[in-house]
Amino acid sequence: MLSEQILKTSKLTKRFGNLTAVNQVDLEIKKEEIIGLIGPNGAGKTTFFNLITGLEIPDEGQVIFKGTNITTMSPHAICKLGISRTFQVAKSFTEMSVEEAIRVGAYNRRGEEEVQNKVDWALEFFELEDIRDYKCSDLGLSSLRKVEVARAAATEPELLLLDEVGAGLTATELLKLMSELKRLNEETKITLCVVEHVMQMVMGLCERIFVLDAGELIAKGIPSEISNNQRVIEAYLGRRSYSESSSTG
Amino acid sequence: METIIQSLFDGALMGCIYALIALGLSLIFGVMNVVNFAHGNFVMLSMYFSFWAGSLWGIDAVLTPLITFPLLFVIGMLVYYGIIDRTLKEHYTIQIAVTVGLMTFLGAITQLAWKAQPRALSYSFIQGNIQFGGYTIALSRLTSAIISLIIIISISFFLSKTWPGRTIRATSDDSDAASLMGVDFRKTYALAFGLGSSLTAISGGLLMTFQQVDPTMGLRFGLLSWCILALAGLGSIPGLLISGLIIGIGESLAMTFWDPRARSLVIYLIFILVLWLRPRGLFGRK
Amino acid sequence: MNRKKNHNLENLLLLFFLVIALFVPLIFGSNQYNILLVTTVLIYGVMATSWNIIGGLAGQLDLASFAYLGLGAFTSSTLFIRFNFTPWIGMILGGLVAVAFALLIGFPLFRFRIREVWYALTTCALVEILKVVFNMWEEVGGPVERFLPYFSGSLYHMRFGSYVPYYYLILGMLVIALLVNSRIARSKLGFYLKALGEDETAAEVLGVNTRACKLRALVYYAFLIGVTGAIYANIYGYVHPSFFNGQESIKIAILGIVGGRGITYGPLLAALLLVGTQEFLRASLGGEVSGLYLVIYSVILILVVLFKPSGIATFFQYRNKKPAKQEVKKKSVV
Repeated sequence: MLSEQILKTSKLTKRFGNLTAVNQVDLEIKKEEIIGLIGPNGAGKTTFFNLITGLEIPDEGQVIFKGTNITTMSPHAICKLGISRTFQVAKSFTEMSVEEAIRVGAYNRRGEEEVQNKVDWALEFFELEDIRDYKCSDLGLSSLRKVEVARAAATEPELLLLDEVGAGLTATELLKLMSELKRLNEETKITLCVVEHVMQMVMGLCERIFVLDAGELIAKGIPSEISNNQRVIEAYLGRRSYSESSSTG
Repeated sequence: METIIQSLFDGALMGCIYALIALGLSLIFGVMNVVNFAHGNFVMLSMYFSFWAGSLWGIDAVLTPLITFPLLFVIGMLVYYGIIDRTLKEHYTIQIAVTVGLMTFLGAITQLAWKAQPRALSYSFIQGNIQFGGYTIALSRLTSAIISLIIIISISFFLSKTWPGRTIRATSDDSDAASLMGVDFRKTYALAFGLGSSLTAISGGLLMTFQQVDPTMGLRFGLLSWCILALAGLGSIPGLLISGLIIGIGESLAMTFWDPRARSLVIYLIFILVLWLRPRGLFGRK
Repeated sequence: MNRKKNHNLENLLLLFFLVIALFVPLIFGSNQYNILLVTTVLIYGVMATSWNIIGGLAGQLDLASFAYLGLGAFTSSTLFIRFNFTPWIGMILGGLVAVAFALLIGFPLFRFRIREVWYALTTCALVEILKVVFNMWEEVGGPVERFLPYFSGSLYHMRFGSYVPYYYLILGMLVIALLVNSRIARSKLGFYLKALGEDETAAEVLGVNTRACKLRALVYYAFLIGVTGAIYANIYGYVHPSFFNGQESIKIAILGIVGGRGITYGPLLAALLLVGTQEFLRASLGGEVSGLYLVIYSVILILVVLFKPSGIATFFQYRNKKPAKQEVKKKSVV
């Protein structure tokens, strides 16, 4: 089956005063893929996500989702179309319980009769049932992250953008999350686009990777290509050299 | 035609004074993102303090800021540390609500203390009119406008050239970065709040040279300064001055050609129009 | 489990209160003054409970409640005075007029990313604008009171010889306001409002049309207040631009916040306590009380906001969301 394109950006550009945060980025994602988006801090990854989800309007370029031009659409309309996301700094609903927070997401496609089913599904899938009544402000980091993902997944998107969900997790928590994301992709057919610094997660999870540096797309390809790409290595110069830690498996 | 120009003059002069009032608020809102509903009441309070100083000790209205400026500065700092500081980490409506409470409180106690009748000081030494090409200009208003302009320019200078001023600007741009550089942002906030409040003392004293004060002025000046802020947007002092002039002139024209009761109406209508059409203001940076 | 039990207890208490309220006029017998007093307290209860929809559930600091009250009052009364139009329909129209004005300011101000402070300020401005406009508008208002024709007992005109029927009307409005509150809180709209109150950005990307939700809350609130305004005019027998009272509008917001934003019966509780005491003191001590009472209101607001921002009604609620941070951390490592 030929994999269709689900998301395409062309010449996407965003400037903040003198700073060009995203510079002429052309990127395509195919259905049911797991894509990685990496780059040094400040490379423009979160801005890129903001442009796709309608939180920022680009200065140039377009975002096409399933054939529709969503460049200037409002965030809630984009969610209705099928894109959902998490945030780098978790934006949890502090006064709500885990279940209530997920319910907000589930209402996206479900009416009053079916919404509870969706909530129960999300709680079960992400193994949050035991803490369903816990207040979001009382959660530990990895639970908080999972709630963020569960909440976004409950909106039943076709494309899910994950912004650094792996940061700060222990090795065990990370593996758990990775397997859940993989399962999510396999079972619900949701396309994933993952922004990450944790290379283990990126290399282990993603089929293709895009690399941003200073707002520009400097490389794209499969994990083994990326980890040996000279430009990518140079972009990360001064931090850990990732070519050593790539474990293709 | 002549009436129009006379009206324009009067409005422009008032506009300068209004701009000074708004400047204080701009410091507070622009720097700290703190919404101070009680700003207008600070102006009114300064006017009442000036009234006290003037009637008890015979000090001329224009000199009262020498007393009221430090007084309002202290009050501002106290309000900041006592009330505002605690609400910074709460939901935004909490922070707004507490200043609404402050506004109500100040309005209520001034009403209790000075009653509803307007209070005025006897004539300042700057009184009388000057003639300028067939138009009459009250000397008190002219002086007040000029002093307001001087203060506005000085503050602008203060913010861009002096260390405390640059600290304030840095903190408003990015409080995290500023604190990394050793700036105690709470102290900076307190300073900004104190300064923003004490500027009202100058406006208050100036206003008392030709106006009277009554308990309804708190709300009026409050809404007035917010209207100017909305029109101007954040980040530009010249913009603030121009917006002040627009508002002053608008009010003056409304009083002359429409109805004296409509003076505030025009301002509020401009306010709503701006929010409908250009929410970030005419000169806003963001 | 605890939460359910507590909810039922709260509902029971509320029901108990409403039943008592049914019999109150009988206690006062023919003492019209006292009946008017409790009616006034209930009016504030209705307004504060309605305010909760926009101020508590939707989290917007609305300071225009008396603007909508006045609009409802003037609409219904003008139709009554000029065209002998029955206030029973007039009050519906009053509600609609209030909604129209509310939408006028809500529509631009609830756009995503517009800071909430501008809404609060505009609502302040609205009350002032209407006061001046109606003062200048000789046809309908003007500086003099416009009296409603007196009837000692006309159902059609909603004018009665005693305050008792009005009391029950207001009580009915209170029940409606409470019901609307509780229905919304439990519905999709309620969840969406809560979410956007927590984090508007997060809510938007989860599919919440924040502007539409806030507007819906605004419509419910403005309509209820507008209808109440019509009844209000009939109780007092006149309309006047002073109905557009900014100070009292702020008071309603104070009741809502002090009582407990988002809690259905919270604002009612505050109204009963604060307004009840104020009216009682005014009856015993005389007029100067209102100036002093405003000082007290504002101090109470500041204290509550600083020390118990969730409102006094939460004193009666269980902490039903388990904390236990350590427990959670343990589980997630396994």
